[in-house]
Amino acid sequence: MASLNVRSAAGGLALALLAAGALAAGLSGAAGAKDRQAHMKALGAAAKALGEQMHAGAPDKAAVKLQSDRIEAAAKALPTWFPPGSGPESGVKTRALPAIWRDAPGFAAAGQRFAQQAAKLGAAADAGDLAAVGGQMSAVGGACKGCHDKFRGPETK
Amino acid sequence: MTEGRASSDQPVHGPAAARRSMLLWDLPTRIVHWLIALLAPFSWWSASHDHLPWHRLSGYTVLGLLVFRLIWGFAGGGGARFAGFLRGPREVLAYLRGRRAAFLGHNPLGGWSVAAMLAALVLQVGLGLFSVDEDGLEAGPLARFVTFAAGRAIARIHHLTFWLLVGLVALHLAAIGFYELRGARITLPMITGRALLAEGSSPPRPARLASFLLAAAVALAVAWFVAHGLRLRPGTAI
Repeated sequence: MASLNVRSAAGGLALALLAAGALAAGLSGAAGAKDRQAHMKALGAAAKALGEQMHAGAPDKAAVKLQSDRIEAAAKALPTWFPPGSGPESGVKTRALPAIWRDAPGFAAAGQRFAQQAAKLGAAADAGDLAAVGGQMSAVGGACKGCHDKFRGPETK
Repeated sequence: MTEGRASSDQPVHGPAAARRSMLLWDLPTRIVHWLIALLAPFSWWSASHDHLPWHRLSGYTVLGLLVFRLIWGFAGGGGARFAGFLRGPREVLAYLRGRRAAFLGHNPLGGWSVAAMLAALVLQVGLGLFSVDEDGLEAGPLARFVTFAAGRAIARIHHLTFWLLVGLVALHLAAIGFYELRGARITLPMITGRALLAEGSSPPRPARLASFLLAAAVALAVAWFVAHGLRLRPGTAI
């Protein structure tokens, strides 16, 4: 049996590691929340830019493809933006609802729908088919809304 | 206070001398007033029920009405002209102190409240033109000139200035109620255009048809051009 001093030191070390781990998890939860918010804002900016192209008299096909590709890439990466601990418990002011982690299958399904619609958007943009892009934008918007209605809370004051 | 109650036509402010019924608010002024009275609540309703295309259409219409009204304030019938109802601080103070001079149309306080409401409407519409919603899917027609972040900030301000408008409209309704209860008939003249004006006072000069046509054309052009994002090569309206 180790001496009392060694046992105390081991216990202290274990506690310190535990505390450091909890702190790191909290910090990474907060970092995860902040990263997600930055990603979502970039996604909003891409949607805005794409909408502006579609209302233009002569849409720029390269710009349409650029923004559509951004949306498609974001949709693929979206499941990685919700690490455990990055919800309201992270301490960050986030609109992500606990349902995201409690109803993981439902959330994953909503994310899948978004990825599918975004992929079609990307394909239409690659083909240079502006009419299809326009049509797909409403489908993508519907997918955004479908997830937000269930998994995003109201604007925090 | 010496307003009389006539059995037929509606008395307005002023000494109870003999009065004649005259056209005070011309038709364009009245149409602008009542359309805005309808469209402002409709704009609120359409936004809060997520009917953004209706909201934008309502906003473009209010924009056109405001452009028209601003021109009409200089070129319209006498009752509509800003020079006719925007009075200096001395007259406003005299009115507040209870001195009731005879005047045509808005009293000094009322005149400035009209200016305040028009300014608040211009602000609200102006901010809306650059607003972007939280998902970047809905935006005003001029949001293409600002970043997503700026458009979001403007949208938040647009939501705040809404309350300024609510406050001014509430004051407006309260004031009208107050005056009506004291016997000053001012609501019906804003519908019929006619009011009892003191004998000897000249009725407001009517506007020329050419002024109306020009003001309407400018208002329509501005609203159309803005709705199409001020694009030199316009695509679809936003």
